[in-house]
Amino acid sequence: MSVSQVTDASFKQEVINNDLPVLVDFWAPWCGPCRMVSPVVDEIAEEYESSIKVVKINTDDNPTIAAEYGIRSIPTLMIFKAGERVDTVIGAVPKSTLASTLNKYIS
Amino acid sequence: MKKQNLVSFSKNLEAMRKFSETYAKRTGTFFCADNSVTAVVIEGLARHKDKYGAPLCPCRHYEDKKAEISATYWNCPCVPMRERKECHCMLFLTPDNEFASDLQEIDETTLLEKIA
Repeated sequence: MSVSQVTDASFKQEVINNDLPVLVDFWAPWCGPCRMVSPVVDEIAEEYESSIKVVKINTDDNPTIAAEYGIRSIPTLMIFKAGERVDTVIGAVPKSTLASTLNKYIS
Repeated sequence: MKKQNLVSFSKNLEAMRKFSETYAKRTGTFFCADNSVTAVVIEGLARHKDKYGAPLCPCRHYEDKKAEISATYWNCPCVPMRERKECHCMLFLTPDNEFASDLQEIDETTLLEKIA
């Protein structure tokens, strides 16, 4: 399953208004560690398919959302639940770290 | 990209490749075991140098890139790298980093292959 890209325009509908918890991968084209975390995010999306939604957003192309959530270091992974940001993980983290963070928000 | 821009980009790409090798050797740091990480970061630095005149870190989001370049903090090598050998872009890794290779060189062919 490929992870969908969201934009400044679709963020509200895809992330904020989603009934499931949402993992958002904020990335940029020439960010090395983003390339390392991307397959980890893809694996998570597959394994947690029934319990969370996973999306990616290019911060260069979508500066409004990046600014709204104060994105500085990339990659930044954020977890949203009921429209609120509930957790943030920065950098190319191992899958186990991301999974244990996510497990806190899955009921 | 216009021909003239391509020439200037490849000049900057080569300049950033050489800078990365020299700086890794000077600081005793190593490139990432995944050399596509190294290549893509060098490309990002070269693109920033090409477009804005300075190699702004490609692993940060900036609201105003021109203002950041004037501030110089995130121009490569950035202040955290110079002070504490911290490169969150994973271009320069200390030997104890689990992703560090034993390489301080990346040749032009590998670089071009990885960013193609």
